[in-house]
Amino acid sequence: MAAARRLKRVAISQPGFLTLNPKVTPTDLVSSRRKRVNKNKKKNWNKYSDVQDVEEFLEDVRHQERTTGGLLCEKSDDSLFFLDVGQPKKVEEKEAAEPVKGKKRKGKSSRPLRIDLILQHDSLVAPPKDVLAYQKPNAKKLRRTAERAEKLAANGVVPRSKKRLLNRTVVDRMSKKTETEANNNPERDFYDIWGQETKDLGEPWYLQQTRKKLVKRPEKLNEKPSVLPAVEVIAPGGSYNPDFFSHQELLREAHEVELKKKKVEDKLERQLAYNKADTATEETILREQVEGLVEESEEEEEKDAPKEDGEEVAVGAIAVADKKTERQRKREKAEKMKEQQRLTERRQTEQQQQLFQLRSIKTSIKQQEETTQIRQKRRKAKEEAQKAQPRRLGKLKFQPQDMEVQLSDELAGSLRQLKPEGSVLMDRFKSLQKRNLIEPRERAKFKRRLKVKYVEKRAFKEIS
Amino acid sequence: MGGLQKKKFERGSATNYITRNRARKKLQLSLPDFRRLCILKGIYPHEPKHKKKVNKGSTAPRTFYLLKDIRFLLHEPIVGKFREYKIFVRKLKKAYGKTEWSAVERLRENKPTYKLDHIIKERYPTFIDALRDIDDALCMCFLFSTFARTGKCHVQTIQLCRRLTVEWMNYVIASRSLRKVFLSIKGIYYQAEVMGQLITWVVPYQFSHDHPVDVDYRVMATFTELYTTLLGFVSFRLYSSLNLVYPPKVSWTKLSALSASLARVVSSADEEEAQLDQFPSEGEDMEKMEAREKELKQQEAQKKLFEGLKFYLNREVPRESLAFVIRCFGGQVSWDKSVCIGSTYDVTDETITHQIIDRPSVGKQYYIQPQWLYDCVNAKILLPVEDYFLGVTLPPHLSPFVEEKEGDYVPPEKLKMMALQRGEKPGNEQEEDEEEEEEEGEQEEEEEQEEDDNGDEEDDEEESLHVKVTPGKLKVENKARLEQEEKAEEKRLAIMMMKKKEKYLYDKIMFGKKRKVREANKLAAKRKAHDDSEKEKKKKARK
Repeated sequence: MAAARRLKRVAISQPGFLTLNPKVTPTDLVSSRRKRVNKNKKKNWNKYSDVQDVEEFLEDVRHQERTTGGLLCEKSDDSLFFLDVGQPKKVEEKEAAEPVKGKKRKGKSSRPLRIDLILQHDSLVAPPKDVLAYQKPNAKKLRRTAERAEKLAANGVVPRSKKRLLNRTVVDRMSKKTETEANNNPERDFYDIWGQETKDLGEPWYLQQTRKKLVKRPEKLNEKPSVLPAVEVIAPGGSYNPDFFSHQELLREAHEVELKKKKVEDKLERQLAYNKADTATEETILREQVEGLVEESEEEEEKDAPKEDGEEVAVGAIAVADKKTERQRKREKAEKMKEQQRLTERRQTEQQQQLFQLRSIKTSIKQQEETTQIRQKRRKAKEEAQKAQPRRLGKLKFQPQDMEVQLSDELAGSLRQLKPEGSVLMDRFKSLQKRNLIEPRERAKFKRRLKVKYVEKRAFKEIS
Repeated sequence: MGGLQKKKFERGSATNYITRNRARKKLQLSLPDFRRLCILKGIYPHEPKHKKKVNKGSTAPRTFYLLKDIRFLLHEPIVGKFREYKIFVRKLKKAYGKTEWSAVERLRENKPTYKLDHIIKERYPTFIDALRDIDDALCMCFLFSTFARTGKCHVQTIQLCRRLTVEWMNYVIASRSLRKVFLSIKGIYYQAEVMGQLITWVVPYQFSHDHPVDVDYRVMATFTELYTTLLGFVSFRLYSSLNLVYPPKVSWTKLSALSASLARVVSSADEEEAQLDQFPSEGEDMEKMEAREKELKQQEAQKKLFEGLKFYLNREVPRESLAFVIRCFGGQVSWDKSVCIGSTYDVTDETITHQIIDRPSVGKQYYIQPQWLYDCVNAKILLPVEDYFLGVTLPPHLSPFVEEKEGDYVPPEKLKMMALQRGEKPGNEQEEDEEEEEEEGEQEEEEEQEEDDNGDEEDDEEESLHVKVTPGKLKVENKARLEQEEKAEEKRLAIMMMKKKEKYLYDKIMFGKKRKVREANKLAAKRKAHDDSEKEKKKKARK
């Protein structure tokens, strides 16, 4: 019902709506039905009240304020009106004003830019004051504390933070801290590290709970990994001006080392040696290939005869064995028993005879003991020798240095002409390896991940 | 199967060891860092007895560490420093790459560093432990101080090594503890006795250096890092034991020239060494005590070997080594100003007693070759200077580190030296040699004539002499000799009474014992032949 009425009203209010009765206009039809509205509800205050007049008045007031800076009725007469007397004064003012302007202006007066004009405030109403900008939270409290501080400062009492500031020492940023603290600083300080008594930081339980307890070094680490001494003095033949015999001794040792190397090489060569007489000649090759193929007739006959005999024999062997008879079984049993009896008797007699063999038994036992003792001694000696050897600690085996020897014609007569042999650096490095402090190491090789391909330049290809 | 079965490689030695890569991953360090850490903390790889068990069946060569050691490493604060350093390097590279120089400076100023003091205290809880390991440290420090100052290793390390070695040498001079010196073809070996410990170290010659390529410099540098710290602390302690100020307040030039006497903490007037009361220790007889006293006296005498002598070193001799040796035994030394700073007196000084020269000939009397000094030190007495003049072939430089047992071959030079030490003058032998040389020039006829003359004289005397009864002279029978003779006779009797078998064994043993003596005799004969041939050569040369 309401929807139908709304529809009619909408239709009527359309422009160009024609009524059947010419006297009745659409407005009559619309306005005749007025809806009853409750104006006391807040919802309807805005909808159904007409404040246009008030709005007009207020708009007028605002306009006046914007353009003239206040209500016109309140302004004084002088500000609104002036007495028009004539023009010549204005011309003089204009002439006075002109020479003030710069010479650059020829005909055009300097006008402000349009953009500046646009951006200016064009209303004479002052912008409202931002009260919050002037508000200070706790302004009163702060003022009071400042006054109190002033009073105390006047008396000489300084607050704690200021006191700490004054006590702070200046941090020396100019000195290079890292260089002085570095471990290899040549000017570094040493102190008595063994003389100081250990600082008792606290009870062990406390230290353990607060994780400040220092971990004890395992006892095994204090043992030296090798029995060799740190510095091995060279043999007396290594002196720069050696005694004849000790020098010969040293030369002999070096000679033996070389001999060993040569032996190994010779052995290898012998193993790889190839006897030319062993090469297969054409004749032997032919014979091998032709084996069994040539001279078939004679050989076949020879082979046939022995084959037949073999077959007969084989046929005979395949014949089934007869079953064992009772007699045979009994016989076998009796034999077994006899054997066993014989064995036991033998054992008994042996035991009895051993009484008379005591001496020889004793000697054999003694011999065995001696051999075991000798073996034990040998093993112990081997172990001791092994201790002095460098252990195998990694991929590479320990390679001892070449002996430092100077041949008889290289020996210098005086200290000035001495040419040192071997380097102490290498010696120390090898000594560290020998004493099992580090594993033997080799210089790292340069390995390529990708293969290098060699290509001839075109020019060279033509030549070669 | 049931869950409580024992599986292989879960117990025992297989779980006690850990491979190097596993250890590295456990510590979260790179391989060079891991190596450095192991070297610094003194953790070495172990070779297990049964490799197959530990390696879980394979025999591939791997480096094994004890698991307990690696667990101990986890608590080390230096590990954190290594990681910080890695990050520092990364940041620095980035800053360089972006060319942010202010960042580079800032990072460089705050570079992470670490100190090794706590490690030294942990590894060497007492001072004597540290002294025992000081051999190695000294060798490394001396070696590094001779390196050239290129960028291969930190220049600071080289400087620190130089400073420490100079301080050590000054300590040895001040305490007069040098005992043996040996010049070898590799370098110079020194041995000193410090607080009862015998310390041996090698010093390379100054004038040769071909750096071998196979040596891992990083490893050596890490060892040196540790050893410089150790040596510094030990030096401090040693200096304070002598009441000397450490670091020495003498100027560096004087210190490095080894010509300064170190300042003492408490300036004491010349202390008279109080004679200690002699109490025999447990189990010692009077004989041993006397022997000990004798040794101490000898040592005291040795310490003042060069006292009162003034030496001048020429330019071609190894200055530092000689200055060190001379000053260790109380002598004064100087050298040419152009060689090094710190020379005290000039060539023209008249109070110079010996001048050390290595050139072929200058002509004057008291010029000696440097080997004299070293041989004197080893012999513990002042040897006659004549053997070491210019142009003379030097006697061989024997090694003081060889201790000859009875029956071994002893070179005649050593015999001479021992004779000198005992106080006999071998000068007679020399004179005899000279006389022999002169006499050989004469012909045999003259000698025969002399003998005849002597014989005639004797005959004459006898004829003139009348037979007189003169009081008899007492033949002093040496009791000791008699006893020895008796014993020898008894031995001979016993040998005669032995059975055949036993005699055979005895002969074998004696043969073995006498072998050494026979060899020594052989060598002596050889030497004599050699000497004779040389003399003949000399004669021929003269003619």
